[in-house]
Amino acid sequence: MLDFESQPFVEIARRLEMRGGHGWIAVLSPPSSRALALDELQTELRSILQVPTRVVPLDTFTFEGLREALQQPNDDAVVLSAGAELTPEKWSRLDIMRSALERIGPVIFWLAPNDVANLTGSAPNIRSLIGASIFIAGPDGGIMTEEERRERLKELVQYFGLSNEEIVRRAESKELPPEPEFVEWLVLLGRGDLV
Amino acid sequence: MTLERARSRAETLDSGTQKEIGERMLAPPRVVFSEIRAYLYRRCEKMRTKNDPYDLLKLVPESNGVASIELGPTIDKGPTPEHLHFESGARLSFGLTLREVDRGSQLVAFRYHYQLPAKSSPEYLRFDLNEGPHPDSLVEPRGHLHPGLEDVRIPISLHDPFEILDRIFFVLEKRT
Repeated sequence: MLDFESQPFVEIARRLEMRGGHGWIAVLSPPSSRALALDELQTELRSILQVPTRVVPLDTFTFEGLREALQQPNDDAVVLSAGAELTPEKWSRLDIMRSALERIGPVIFWLAPNDVANLTGSAPNIRSLIGASIFIAGPDGGIMTEEERRERLKELVQYFGLSNEEIVRRAESKELPPEPEFVEWLVLLGRGDLV
Repeated sequence: MTLERARSRAETLDSGTQKEIGERMLAPPRVVFSEIRAYLYRRCEKMRTKNDPYDLLKLVPESNGVASIELGPTIDKGPTPEHLHFESGARLSFGLTLREVDRGSQLVAFRYHYQLPAKSSPEYLRFDLNEGPHPDSLVEPRGHLHPGLEDVRIPISLHDPFEILDRIFFVLEKRT
């Protein structure tokens, strides 16, 4: 399992986009903050693919219901979320009805790392359709690092000739100019309360 | 016609901008960040210059419900690897600050600095939205464009983050 490639959600979404927005992939969720990560995956899918995105829980659906959910509509992005209830027997039944799951829009299997064994052992046809497209949810990136934040603050201090403390003092006394740079300065200092 | 009357009109314009900000709901900051990154990916793929939005675009996480989205330096002091570079030789940096409201967000402030290729006139265009009204709205309207001059601020209507990018990518960049 650990051999799978770790990719941020935006990169996973871009791989689907490069395939014309079709295909099946699997994403192994992080061990913690699973709900938040699923939300972020949906955000990136919507932004990159520019189609609506739905989450369909695999373990509470009947397979007939699942077929209907995937076909109506059949052109949005669907994240099939596997939970602890998805036993090897259910994976086998899902494998048998795999052709009913074929659709225009992409299918993303959202799996816990230990689901891979069930997918491989009990749903070999689905595993084959997914092929090499199994990714570990990687850090999304884009969040400004502490070093980048410090460097940006240093540049602001040098350019305006004002200290961070002076900026806070002026904001507290409502004397800070309204230009966008000063608002960003406060956010960099973690003082959104003064904006 | 008096200076007082001119200032009064400028203040009315700023009040209208404030009202529009309140009426224009955007997605939460994290979603706007994702949408801007997707926008930049699409535009950059059309250009022959190497820009990687994944590395260039940064989110400063929320502090008391206020977050910033940054690309490039806050102050343009010359080309850097952190700028978004256009085929024309122009470059872009911007900063956008949003406040979370209910399940979305509202504009707080922005600056989009489009530096034209060397020896162009004007040298740059900067679209600014100030966080609040300036004491003299006539000199510094809340939403304004710098036409290559720091002291000249031409009032502009309220734009959302994508509308400014549209003008830069599809209008200004086509002319250079």
